[in-house]
Amino acid sequence: MSELELSVDGAPVEPASGWTLTWLDADAGVARLDNGSQSMVCLVEGAGMDWTVTLRGRRIPVVVRSWRERVLADAESASRRHGGPIEVRATLPGLVVALAVREGDEVAAGATLLTIEAMKMQNEVRAPRAGRVVAVGVVAGQAVAAGASLLRIE
Amino acid sequence: MATSPSDRSSSLRKDGAPFRRLLVANRGEIAVRIIRACRELGIESVAAYSDADADALHTRMADRSERIGPPPAADSYLSIDALLAAAARSGADAVHPGYGFLSENAAFARAVEAAGLVFVGPPAETLESLGDKLAARRSVAAAGVPIVPGLLVPLVADGDGSVSKADLSGVGFPALLKAAAGGGGRGMRAVADLAELEAALPGAGREAMAAFGDGTLYLERLIAPARHVEVQLLGDRHGNLAVLGERECSVQRRHQKLVEESPSPAVDPGLREALADSARRVAGTVAFHNAATVEFLVDADGGHYFLEMNTRLQVEHGVTELVTGLDLVAWQIRLAAGGRLPQSVLAAPSRGHAVEVRLYAEDPHHGFAPVSGAISSWRMPDGPGIRVDAGVAGGTALPVEYDPLLAKLMVHAENRPAAVARLRRALDETAIGGLQTDLSFLRWLVDAPAFVTGAYDTSLIETEWGAGPRLTSEERSLAAEVARLARERATRELPAAAGGPPGMDSAWQQLARREAVGRRRPA
Repeated sequence: MSELELSVDGAPVEPASGWTLTWLDADAGVARLDNGSQSMVCLVEGAGMDWTVTLRGRRIPVVVRSWRERVLADAESASRRHGGPIEVRATLPGLVVALAVREGDEVAAGATLLTIEAMKMQNEVRAPRAGRVVAVGVVAGQAVAAGASLLRIE
Repeated sequence: MATSPSDRSSSLRKDGAPFRRLLVANRGEIAVRIIRACRELGIESVAAYSDADADALHTRMADRSERIGPPPAADSYLSIDALLAAAARSGADAVHPGYGFLSENAAFARAVEAAGLVFVGPPAETLESLGDKLAARRSVAAAGVPIVPGLLVPLVADGDGSVSKADLSGVGFPALLKAAAGGGGRGMRAVADLAELEAALPGAGREAMAAFGDGTLYLERLIAPARHVEVQLLGDRHGNLAVLGERECSVQRRHQKLVEESPSPAVDPGLREALADSARRVAGTVAFHNAATVEFLVDADGGHYFLEMNTRLQVEHGVTELVTGLDLVAWQIRLAAGGRLPQSVLAAPSRGHAVEVRLYAEDPHHGFAPVSGAISSWRMPDGPGIRVDAGVAGGTALPVEYDPLLAKLMVHAENRPAAVARLRRALDETAIGGLQTDLSFLRWLVDAPAFVTGAYDTSLIETEWGAGPRLTSEERSLAAEVARLARERATRELPAAAGGPPGMDSAWQQLARREAVGRRRPA
C-alpha cells in the first residue's frame, strides 16, 4: 500500500505503528489519535505533497510524495541552487524601519538588506546569497505580515 | 429598549440594570467577556472597532458597534477622542476600558467622567498616583508593607556618567534597573555589578523615555529565585474591601504571564494571611474602588515584597472567578454604578483549584515570537470544569497591530492534581490550525515535573523549556502517518470532486487520479 514516501525536515521517516486514527471532521482535517493509553486530537492541513500536521500543538511539516514526484522535485531544486531568483520574505510580522539597498544594487551573501522592528527589537534581514536586488516591494514605515515578500535577489 | 438620555443620571436604573448602554473600549477576548457580562446584567453593549476589526468577534457579538478609526492602536483603541465620540454617538452612559490600552490612563478616566459618563474603574487620581512607581514604593513602605530592597528615589548619575556609590547602599547586586514610570518590562535590565549598571543606564533610560515619555530610572535588588503572586481586590464606594485570594503567575516569558493558577502552590495559610494584610494596606494608600490586583514577589524563604498595584481587570481574573464563583466583571459594573459589596462577596470562600493557560499566536520554538496569519481551524475543549474565553473564531485573520492573545483556556477541579489532569485532557482536545501557537509549550508544561509538583518559579521557561524539546522519532512518525492518510483520503475524494474540464487539471491532480484508480483496482 505504501508507495508514498514520507519525510520531515528533509529526512525520510517510517510511518508509525500502534496508533489508530479516527476522523472527527475529515473535511477540516481534524482527527483523533489513540494508542490505548493516550488519546489526542490532531490536525492535518495541506494538499498535494505538502502537509502540515499539528500534533500536541506543534506544527510539523511533512512531505508526502511518490517516487516520481521526489525525482521531479530533486531535479528542480538542483536547478534553483545554480542561480535562480530568490524571494526574500519577512520571518516576523513587524514594521520596516530602514531599507539598506535599492533596486539594482549588487549584494554579497549575508549583507544587510533591510531592518524590521518586531517585539520592540530591530531585526536585520540579510541576503541569503549574493546577487542583484530586484523588485523591492516595501518602503520604510510599512507594516508587513510574516511571510510577506520584501524583495527579490537574482 | 426605548429610553431617553435623561435617565442616564440615576446610578441605578428602575429595572435594576446598573446602566442602560455601555461602550466597551477594548477588543479581543476581553471585549467579548465584557459584552457577555452586559448581556447578563440587561445592559446594551456597544463594541468599539478599528478597521482591522470590522469583522472581529467582539464587533459581531455586541448589540451595537461603532467604528473608531484605522488599524494602528494609536489612532483607534488608544485614541481618547475617537472613543469619546463613539460613546456620544451610541448614547452610552458608561465605558469599560478592559485591560491594557487606556485602562490605566488617568486622562481617559477624567475625559469619560467629564463627558458625563461613568468610567468602570477607579477615580482618575488613583490612576495618577499609581503611575509613579517610585512614589508608590514610598507610600506603600510607609504603610508598613515590605517592598523589594532598593531605591526610593531616582538613580542619579554623576557628571561623568558614573553612579554615586552612596546611592546604592542597601540595594546590593545583582540588581534590577527599572523605569519609574514603567511597566511591561520596558526599561528593565538585570545588572550583575556596578560596571554593568553604568553600561546599562543610557539604553534603559532611552527605552523608558520612548515608552513612557519619562527616562527616570531606579534600582531594586534582584530577587531570584522568585515567584510572582498577586492578590485580587474588589472595593466599593462605601469603604468595603473584598480580598479574594491569590493567583500564582510565575510561568512567564518576557516578564509577561502565560499561565496562572489559584490558589498558589507556594502559599500556605500563614503567607496567605500576610499577603491579604499587605494587599489591604496597599489599597489603603490610595482612594481606591472597583477592581484591583496587588502584585508581590515571593522569595524562596516565603518572604513577600510589594511590586505594584493594578487598578483594572487582569487578563487572569477568570481563575479567581472559578474558585470564588463570583463574576468580577459584573461586580466591576455594579460597583461603578455605586453598588455595595454584600457579605457573600466580602467573605467569599475559595473552592477547589483553577488554572488558566493563555493561547497566543506565538511560536514557542522560536523565542515566543508573534506569528501572523489566519486561523483555519479552531477546536476548543469542553466537558466538565472547562471554560474558554476566546476573542477569535475559525476563519479569522489576525491583525498584526495588536496583542497576539487568541483565547484563555481555564479549568476548575476539586484539587490541584485533578486540575492539572483536567488541563492535560483539555489541551489534548484542543486544535488550532493555520498558525503555530504556544499550545505545544502548554502541552509540554502539564507534563513538566516542576509544574506538576508546583515547585516552579519565574525562571521556568528560561531554564526548563529554552526552545523546547526536539521532535521525537515517534512524533515524526506519527505526523508522517497522519499526513499519508490525509493525502490518500484527498486522493480518493478527488475523482468525484474534480468537476472542471480535463485540460484544467494540474499535474498533481492528474497524477493523484491515476494513483487513486490504480489503488482501487486491487480492492
